[in-house]
Amino acid sequence: MVAAPRAADVARRDDTRRRVLSATVSCVERDGLAGVSLEEVARTAEVSRATVYRHFPGGRDELVRQAVTREVGRFWAELGAAVEDQPDLVSRLREALLVGHRAVADHVLLQQLLRTEPEAFLRELFEVGPVLEGALRTELIRLLGLVELRPGVEPGPVADYLTRMFLSYVGSHGRWDLSDRVQVDRLVRTQFLAGILDLERGDGTFSPA
Amino acid sequence: MSESGTIDEPIEDRILDAAVRCVARWGVGKTTLDDIAREAGCSRATLYRVLPGGRDALLVAATDRELQRFLRGLATRLDDTATLEDVIVSIIHEAVAAVSTHDALQYLLSHEPEQIAPFVAFDALDPLLAEVTAFVHPWLARHLDDVAADEVGEWIARLVLSYGLEPADDLDLTRRDAVVELVRFAVLPGIALAETSCAA
Repeated sequence: MVAAPRAADVARRDDTRRRVLSATVSCVERDGLAGVSLEEVARTAEVSRATVYRHFPGGRDELVRQAVTREVGRFWAELGAAVEDQPDLVSRLREALLVGHRAVADHVLLQQLLRTEPEAFLRELFEVGPVLEGALRTELIRLLGLVELRPGVEPGPVADYLTRMFLSYVGSHGRWDLSDRVQVDRLVRTQFLAGILDLERGDGTFSPA
Repeated sequence: MSESGTIDEPIEDRILDAAVRCVARWGVGKTTLDDIAREAGCSRATLYRVLPGGRDALLVAATDRELQRFLRGLATRLDDTATLEDVIVSIIHEAVAAVSTHDALQYLLSHEPEQIAPFVAFDALDPLLAEVTAFVHPWLARHLDDVAADEVGEWIARLVLSYGLEPADDLDLTRRDAVVELVRFAVLPGIALAETSCAA
């Protein structure tokens, strides 16, 4: 029988993983996606190449993929934390768009890669994206279950619609100033929620399940 | 086939059509200028003369021409509409149907999505949204004020791109009745709300 890993070993393994992925991000910032090498990542993380391979047997490609995955996960976590206190669906979506838009616009590395290596970067994001979309859709289904919906409205298709709208706007503001809370509030009410909630009766206050 | 083409078929159009057929067959990565010239029935020298700027510039020109061709067809369709619902449903239905039957686009979506992404992701999407919004404005403006027409035009463009490039499992927008359902559920209530609200 194999003994379960000791907690200290797991912690050290996770710590090494984190350091290597942080080093990968630093290398991408400096050398671009095309210029990332496993040797350089190992040197930056102050670990041996063997250690990097042990954690990321797929080598350089897996490093890049995991680094992107982690950054996307971080974006999602920060978004969630920023909006979890909002008491109704209107304000939660509004604040999520405000925060998400700013996070994308202010993300130095993302903007840099979109300028310098759009195809390579978007290819990575394309692989990782569906996980974020799935998480968003799942969370929206959960939230829709906590509010009073218009009659006949099904959470599944609605969550898909809201996910698509959110991702479309958070990535590209179009004609909207998504740093303006008044505009974003109007956008969320008219284009996201008008068909889903009876907004004359309320903003979709969450009641416990 | 003569190199100069006929009056009815300018050489530039023949070359761009040929490029689209090549991409539908092999994708962007494997399509060379030689392939395009051969498919167009002209020499490489002619191709360089008519469309200088290299392969990538040629493909951008081909893409633009496909879009313009689609918009011209859409205009004819929209001239036939009577109600606002008609206009919105027709735009979405025609566009999603066009995307789903465009062989080159479908090839890229399946095999080389990274070729499309730089044109439709993040800031790159804004000019495309603006172009489509401006194009559909006249028909929407028959039923809405200018600001509302622009907001709705961009909204529709976003829906077309999202549902067109990544079809939903439970919503087939190549079917007009499904589009009607989506428009009645999601779009028309928002337009009504915007009209009655006092917000800026």
